[in-house]
Amino acid sequence: MTKSQMVTIKGTKDGLVLRLDDHCSFSELLEELEEKVQGTGLEGVAEVQLHTGHRYCDEQDMKSILSVIHHSPHLRVSKVQSDVISLEECQQKLIEKQSETYIGIVRSGQIVKAAGDLVIIGDVNPNAQVIAGGSIYILGRLKGIAHAGAKGNLEAVIAASWLEATHLKIADKMETMTDELTILSEHPEMECAYIHDNGQIAIDRLQELRHLRPGLATFKGGI
Amino acid sequence: MGEAIVITSGKGGVGKTTTSANLGTALALQGKKVCLIDTDIGLRNLDVILGLENRIIYDLVDVVEGRCKIHQALVKDKRFDDRLFLLPAAQTTDKSAVSPEQMKKLITELKMDYDYILIDCPAGIEQGYKNAIAGADRAIVVTTPEISAVRDADRIIGLLESEKDIEPPKLIINRIKGRLMESGDALDVNEITTHLSIDLLGIVLDDENVISSSNKGEPVVMDPSNPAAVGYRNIARRILGESVPLMSMDTGKTGFFGKLKSLFSK
Repeated sequence: MTKSQMVTIKGTKDGLVLRLDDHCSFSELLEELEEKVQGTGLEGVAEVQLHTGHRYCDEQDMKSILSVIHHSPHLRVSKVQSDVISLEECQQKLIEKQSETYIGIVRSGQIVKAAGDLVIIGDVNPNAQVIAGGSIYILGRLKGIAHAGAKGNLEAVIAASWLEATHLKIADKMETMTDELTILSEHPEMECAYIHDNGQIAIDRLQELRHLRPGLATFKGGI
Repeated sequence: MGEAIVITSGKGGVGKTTTSANLGTALALQGKKVCLIDTDIGLRNLDVILGLENRIIYDLVDVVEGRCKIHQALVKDKRFDDRLFLLPAAQTTDKSAVSPEQMKKLITELKMDYDYILIDCPAGIEQGYKNAIAGADRAIVVTTPEISAVRDADRIIGLLESEKDIEPPKLIINRIKGRLMESGDALDVNEITTHLSIDLLGIVLDDENVISSSNKGEPVVMDPSNPAAVGYRNIARRILGESVPLMSMDTGKTGFFGKLKSLFSK
């Protein structure tokens, strides 16, 4: 049996790649990895990318792999890449990509939550909350509290036919509609809130959205 | 089989009890058999407004705890020969003395004998509110043209809409002050109804006589010339399903400003 096939180290234009075979047993792999890692003639510290191929590694497996690699003082893992994810993760990702639609009025004290984008057809009244992992689009009046990018997505936006919120939150940024912002949105019709380059929440006309956040578009068809 | 209607608002002091007393009286005047229930246990008022305070013997808590029969606790309003009754709240205990299940049972029983059961709800959204809405088929939300009252109404409407057994609530805007609304210093009827977006059942003008007649124990609705009384009577007719065209915002306004003008020109 030709050894040294399970773990390969290659230099690519993106840096060192440590590729782990996905057909052998996990214990064999770890053993060989250990050997390889100790045997590298490297000097200094090199960053490597870890490719696990089609092997599914849960958190525990990944921990053991990383600890073996980090045994060597010369290697640091900069990135882990895998070709497989679990069904659960996949479903979670799908949900986050989806947009959910709520039709009706969100009234004081009520909370509407979505994992991905959230479309509200109706008003969001004062003291009501709408929270989304992605962006929030409201066909109606936003007069309450909106929190887009709740899991930290800085690219998320809040758009409304009538943007008159008391509080706007995007990722971990929060803005109360103070006088300045109210003046900014003197005509609260068709506006959107986003995180400006300066790190603060800004409000602009909805028409500017395609320049501000071109990445939000998912339209694939030709024009 | 009668119908149970809860009158609620969230905020205190917007006129739930006054509205209950006046609508009950107006329905009785229309020939219906009405039972009013005061669920504000510990802070009862409905008996005072109806002028029945000194005739209370048993109360709501006595009934649910089986210390008396329902008919023993009901106080008859003698002005409306056998058409208006009050089930008063207890004054010596608190809201937790009654459970929603007990209220439901009580109201189901009362529905056999009465055309309308009006339940006067206490302020707030706690136990007292839950008791009050437990047996209701319909709900009326009372608000005034103040932002704080409208906010609370919004909250209450949200809670009522999530109740499966209650029809979508209807709105009464109480204590409308003509001059303030005209000058834009108070919310106008249109603003309130679009904000809350539920059906408007009627509007009631602010009138000094509402207070003075309440103090005398005679609901203002008994005086047919009073502007507030007209509002209550119209609402009662709409509850009966009569085709009083539901005062649209425009006619509501002009009708009311017209009335106001005629008052001044007198």
